[in-house]
Amino acid sequence: MSTHINNISLKVKVWLLASCLLSLASGTASAQSPAQLAALEADLNQLSVRVERLQDVEEIEILQRSYGYYVDKSLWYSLHDLWTEDGTLEIGGRGVFTGKDRVFEYMNVGLGPVGPARNLLVDHQQFQNIVTISADGQSAELRGIAMVMSSGGWGHCYYENDFVKENGVWKMKTLHGPFNMYSGYDIGWVDNIIINTWPAKFPPPPDLPPSVIYLAYPSYYVEPYHYPNPVTGQPMPPHDPAAGGEAFGRQR
Amino acid sequence: MIKIIKIIKPFNTTRRTLVAVLIMTAIALPGSLFAQRNDDSARYSALLTRLDALKQEATLVEDILQIQRLGRAFGFYLDKGYFGEAADLFTDTGRVQYAMDGVYIGRDRIKELFTRHGGGSMNADPGLPFGRLNLHMQLQPLVTVAPGGRTASARWREWALLGNYKDQAQWGDAIQENDYIKEDGVWKISAMRFYTNFVAPYEGGWASLPPVFGNWQSDVARSFRPDQPAPGSYRPFPSVYTPPYHYANDRRAITAPGPIALRRRPNDVLGQLEASADSQELKLARLHSTRAVENLQAMYGYYIDKGKWTEAASLFADNGVWEFGQRGQYIGPDSIRRGLSLMGPEGLESGQLNNYPMLQPVIHVSEDNSRAWGRFRSDVMLARGGTGQWGGGVYENEYINDNGTWRISKQHYWVTFWGDYDQGWTGAGIIPMAPASTTNPPDAPPSVVYQSFPNTYVVPFHYDHPVTGEPHNDMGRLTADKAAGRNVR
Repeated sequence: MSTHINNISLKVKVWLLASCLLSLASGTASAQSPAQLAALEADLNQLSVRVERLQDVEEIEILQRSYGYYVDKSLWYSLHDLWTEDGTLEIGGRGVFTGKDRVFEYMNVGLGPVGPARNLLVDHQQFQNIVTISADGQSAELRGIAMVMSSGGWGHCYYENDFVKENGVWKMKTLHGPFNMYSGYDIGWVDNIIINTWPAKFPPPPDLPPSVIYLAYPSYYVEPYHYPNPVTGQPMPPHDPAAGGEAFGRQR
Repeated sequence: MIKIIKIIKPFNTTRRTLVAVLIMTAIALPGSLFAQRNDDSARYSALLTRLDALKQEATLVEDILQIQRLGRAFGFYLDKGYFGEAADLFTDTGRVQYAMDGVYIGRDRIKELFTRHGGGSMNADPGLPFGRLNLHMQLQPLVTVAPGGRTASARWREWALLGNYKDQAQWGDAIQENDYIKEDGVWKISAMRFYTNFVAPYEGGWASLPPVFGNWQSDVARSFRPDQPAPGSYRPFPSVYTPPYHYANDRRAITAPGPIALRRRPNDVLGQLEASADSQELKLARLHSTRAVENLQAMYGYYIDKGKWTEAASLFADNGVWEFGQRGQYIGPDSIRRGLSLMGPEGLESGQLNNYPMLQPVIHVSEDNSRAWGRFRSDVMLARGGTGQWGGGVYENEYINDNGTWRISKQHYWVTFWGDYDQGWTGAGIIPMAPASTTNPPDAPPSVVYQSFPNTYVVPFHYDHPVTGEPHNDMGRLTADKAAGRNVR
């Protein structure tokens, strides 16, 4: 940044010199003053930051939605390539898996072989993404939904994920997917509910225990919104235990 | 950021030469210098004008995203009983027209309306009681920002999962046509028109719903009277009702700048600034195009929902291709209209449901903003002759920028599964793909022959992996890893 500013001031000097000479030669003032040009350039720089933020949103949407298309067909290589080397994954109550390789293991050991399997449906539709880019453009957060239509029945889970930009490329830093409702197909969510998973439900074991202990439907749990209210700018108020169920505890 | 370093370096290293040249030129050619200055002045003014236009273009794309954000935030609030926060998304005089219940005006009334519908409590802070399910997914935004950028409209699809534990489970299907206004730089909802299409019991599904006659106001409206009656009248599914399209006579939502060829600029300071503006203009055009393509596919979906084959076909390029499962390819708008009519008569008949939501877009626009590719999915709700169906599939589509209006050049729906409502994609419920019609034949056979569920396959991706930049090759990597003795399966 400092070299950039130096170069602007150098440019200003050169143009001052040049425009003075031109004025001397023709006896009139130059069309644009150095200050005008510097202002124009600063304006363009500001615009380019806005444009980059818009591109950031688009790239993160593509990352999250691609994740869904990869889960659909058990494309675990493509899936784990979305992560940073030290990124984490936490789905339902299974605990935290640390590192890109463990993300692969979680999927490959826990969920099945690479590639689509006959007679197995695991559609994980990615909906309703709200993307927030940090002021410096180097990290981002996303709230979203996975609406699951699978051989096991229905599922609805949230995401509150974190992303980082490494060498100009956005990557998944944290995938955090709390369950809202999981049910079988026959009678839906009137009953036959899976209230959550837990670390030992199926292999492999996690690196860390769950970051939050909660029960999904029919209990009430709200994963905190990473963003303030878009109109009032107010942060999310706490929910009222009198109004609903309660998470048992939070470790972060 | 603009890289000034590159621009300035020649000036720096050859500063003395530059000065000498300037002096000599000034002495030798005062007339041409004068012309040069006028020319520079024009270029400078043109740049200022362009920069203003580019800022407006950036604001437009930001506005579209902000309106998408409002709708999605609304859904996340309803889900968890944050009804006051949902109401806070409205203006002071915000209005909600809720199906045939009537119109509720102002944030307090809106909060109570959604609290009552969602099963919350006006005497407690946010939350939902044990056993209450109130998931309202907000999907398929089609956003039109009005000229001037102060107001906007959007159509949304709501897909809801509702219920009380051990008592009932329900599907909800609705369309919203909403108005927005920007107040002091903040977008707010000024009006929500919420058109319930059905709330159907899980048991039996939407196809089991009887026709609705007479007053079908909800229990909420009977005890919590609206401020105004509903302005019109309609009946929900199994009747076929099309909530008015805000874009019926204004398709600006699918427009964006036309294709752009980058120009060579003079190698002077103004030229560098011009080149920088060119670069931002192209980036913005492509970002705007992404949203136009998202809107275009949503528009197609909203037409298909209601059997508007003529309108849907009008969104295609002249030589556009429509391909569905193993039905084959229909080429050109006339043929496409014929192909679409395989789904039913124009406008559908009572009892027919044809919900094709357009979901999970991954859109890429070509470097010159002339073409685009889009992957979508559509998990569909259907009803024919009293029988309900679920279906699912993935689109890999192509689009063309027709002088500033985006059109579909290829629409290819790859069917993942189809099943009857009662058993879904499990066991006996599975329905195989229909072959090419003999009475209404396609112009060309299917471009790819495959089988849907229980068979599975990967629909090819139009794009390389977003992080590695490599083509998707999971099966090749699995084979290589196995050969290398790695413990994978």
